[in-house]
Amino acid sequence: MRRRAVKIFSLAALGLLSFPLSAQQSAESTPHNECLIKNAVVMTVTHGNIQNGSIYVKDGKIAAVGKEVSVPASATVIDAGGKYVTPGIIDSHSHIALDDDVNEATSPVTPQMMMMDAFDYQDKAIYRGLAGGVTTSLLLHGSANMIGGQAIVIKHKYGANRDAMLFPGAPRSIKFASGENPKRVYGSKDQLPSTRMGNFAVQRAALVEAQDYMREWDDYAAKVKRGDKDAKPPKHDLRLEALADVLRGKLLVQIHCYRADELLTEMAMAKEFGYKVRAFHHALEAYKVADDLAAQGVAIATFSDWWGFKQEAWDAIPWNAVISMRKGVRVAIKSDSEDFARRLNQEAAKTMRYGGATEEEALKMITINPAWIIGVDDRVGSIEVGKDADLVLWDGYPLSSFGVPDKVLIDGDIYFDRSLAGFGMPHYREGE
Amino acid sequence: MMQSPVVARQPSGAVVGRSLVVVQVLLVLSVWLCPGTASAQQKTLVLKGGKLLTVSHGTIDNGVLVMSAGKIAAIGAAGSVKVPKDAEVIDVSGMTVYPGLIDSESYLGLTEISAEGSTNDLIEISDEIMPHMHVYDAFHAESELIPVARLNGVTNAIVAPQSQDTLPGQDAFVQLDGKSANEMLLVRDIALPLNFTGEQRRNESWEKRKFPQTRMGLAAQLRQAFMDAQDYSERWSDYEKKKSDAAAKPDDKKGPPSPPKRDLKLEALLPYLQGKKSIVLAAQEPSDLETAVGLARQFKLRFVLNHVSHSQPVLDYVASLKVPVIVGPIYENPKNFERYDAVYKLPGELYKRGVKIAFASYDAHAVRNLPYAAGYATAFGLPHDEAIRAITLNPAEIWGVADQLGSLDAGKTANVVVADGDPLDVKTDVKRIFIAGRQVPMTSRQTVLRDRYSAK
Repeated sequence: MRRRAVKIFSLAALGLLSFPLSAQQSAESTPHNECLIKNAVVMTVTHGNIQNGSIYVKDGKIAAVGKEVSVPASATVIDAGGKYVTPGIIDSHSHIALDDDVNEATSPVTPQMMMMDAFDYQDKAIYRGLAGGVTTSLLLHGSANMIGGQAIVIKHKYGANRDAMLFPGAPRSIKFASGENPKRVYGSKDQLPSTRMGNFAVQRAALVEAQDYMREWDDYAAKVKRGDKDAKPPKHDLRLEALADVLRGKLLVQIHCYRADELLTEMAMAKEFGYKVRAFHHALEAYKVADDLAAQGVAIATFSDWWGFKQEAWDAIPWNAVISMRKGVRVAIKSDSEDFARRLNQEAAKTMRYGGATEEEALKMITINPAWIIGVDDRVGSIEVGKDADLVLWDGYPLSSFGVPDKVLIDGDIYFDRSLAGFGMPHYREGE
Repeated sequence: MMQSPVVARQPSGAVVGRSLVVVQVLLVLSVWLCPGTASAQQKTLVLKGGKLLTVSHGTIDNGVLVMSAGKIAAIGAAGSVKVPKDAEVIDVSGMTVYPGLIDSESYLGLTEISAEGSTNDLIEISDEIMPHMHVYDAFHAESELIPVARLNGVTNAIVAPQSQDTLPGQDAFVQLDGKSANEMLLVRDIALPLNFTGEQRRNESWEKRKFPQTRMGLAAQLRQAFMDAQDYSERWSDYEKKKSDAAAKPDDKKGPPSPPKRDLKLEALLPYLQGKKSIVLAAQEPSDLETAVGLARQFKLRFVLNHVSHSQPVLDYVASLKVPVIVGPIYENPKNFERYDAVYKLPGELYKRGVKIAFASYDAHAVRNLPYAAGYATAFGLPHDEAIRAITLNPAEIWGVADQLGSLDAGKTANVVVADGDPLDVKTDVKRIFIAGRQVPMTSRQTVLRDRYSAK
């Protein structure tokens, strides 16, 4: 049960004074998910920065935020020392914690794969991302298949048990892929697909199959409705059931896609079969067709400046994010890498240099925008009353080469604290 | 008369030696005779009003830097430096001016598209012992990657073969501007990597097993190679002695001796055995590090260290070796038993122990991110000035080119960067680049694409 949030702006307007803070001690952890972060530059993402601001966290949620907040004496105080606080970073493209079980590369269409079944919640990569300020990640199937498996959304609560790390109520996402990877994986085995023509033929055939499957079930349902006692239900097919959910709009479609022509083809295919593309991932040539993406409301989750690692990444330019954003595309910077996941703030800051994104625009690319791509932007991605208290206290200015997290809170609880010895994790001890 | 193909290719046109020993001496002497694109016809350029990070002698606010004939002709505070009358003066007020950055290990010019084999000349994997591979033979001066790297202020780099061989071939030191490979290859065969990280094992599987299969095998193979080179050197000394004896006794019936058969592989090892050039000794973990150092000591090799990313328990030992360390990549993941910042902290920890460090990109496409790695290390204990030094003057000293590069000092090559902020910050935009005093166009394949598609 969520308590009624106290909106600080109105409190300040009423002239209510904040609780005297000096008497309280800073603590290393906040066992009751209740704390006050004070003396911070609060980068809310959606409502600008609050200088010398405070955030009151209660029951794991942001209960108040503003220059002055009213809090009970019991709240633990964390003095940010004038430094920056941002929402937790959100990585909308990750393959960590899957113990290399990323691609079921035995068929180009495997929508029935559930990444949940491979989730290795003890993977230290979750911890290392956390120490870089990441609090939520979308763990995706790989790009070997045109239609891969269904993703999971995790919170980086390293040390918690498996189910506690799953983002409660997050929407389901499915991974599609196109381009070089599927054609290489299957082409090298002399199988379909080995060309981009083959790629899309495989994808189209699978979607047609799903349409037929849905029709069979619709026919059956109609017969039952008519009272036909002899009606036999069609066979349940896990694979087609998943694709049917794509066509029913129950899954967010996340598509790995590099080249401009393929971005267009994927959008045409979505139109043909009546589903929506939530985001193109990588999308290194999005800047060439940004108007088309904007018109369809498709987001991109891209790299800041990685390029040239394969032919379809040859036209990648570091201005991709900002050119696309200026043309109306919602842009996220993602990691797709255990390494980049640890410093997405630095990657986002590059958009300020390449194309002149503002501080807030750059920050959005690793917070509220990826939250939208995952479908959890009503819960995380900004510092607003009622949202999950997933917060990062930074040692320096986060949009720079130099900013690194001091503390990371998830659901109001400190999961990483740089000042602690060992791994810096209050909820984890090696060997326990 | 013996002619070394190496010397014959020196851009300086160094005299061809008469014997192997002479050849090696000349090789060392002929280093750095051709400082890139400097030309006497170049217009004198003056950068006025900027904040000059000299690296060697502090920061000059509101400074003046004069570039002439490819060199820094003068540098100092406004008013203290005479501006030549015919000079073109460029106002750089509000800008930060610093020496061109030096990447201490890159693969520039050896690759274009990583996944496309036909564009890669990164490593010869037919054998582990390949010291006679020369980066200069493959360096592709027209690579599209070079202007991309340059636009972030990297003006010089070590180009190394990739590290899958224990001895993969010899590095070149390049300047990232020039009309041809000849102009850009400032020092050919500047150093020889010796890699001992475990990554060089490739005959592990029982199906493919052949020697060397293990670290023992790799080390034994290396020792044999250096011993063979010692023997080879002795055969040539012996020959030289007999030849000069024969010359002193022209009437001797035996006549002049015949020279030993040349062996390019062993010949390539000689300058390193003779301590004339440095080995770049790569290891990650303490056990490999100590084995590799033991090997280098056995053959009295001069060396600098590379990586040492997982040698945190023995950093005092590393410091006691009194050699520089090419450190990184600091984005290397720590081991699972290590704290998240174990590798990030390494540059700072080494600096604290008095070790001279330099950063490297260990990349081709991401060379432009070199300064950001140095910047990140400052968040983990490395002082800011030292981080800048580790991508400028330190590498210049380590690679023996500090008389020409690495700082803003009169007399040095005018490799100068003008940017709108801190060189180490990702937000800083580089505005102008001068290489050997020539203003380099701020364009790359990527800026062309940017301009084409950002136009309405």
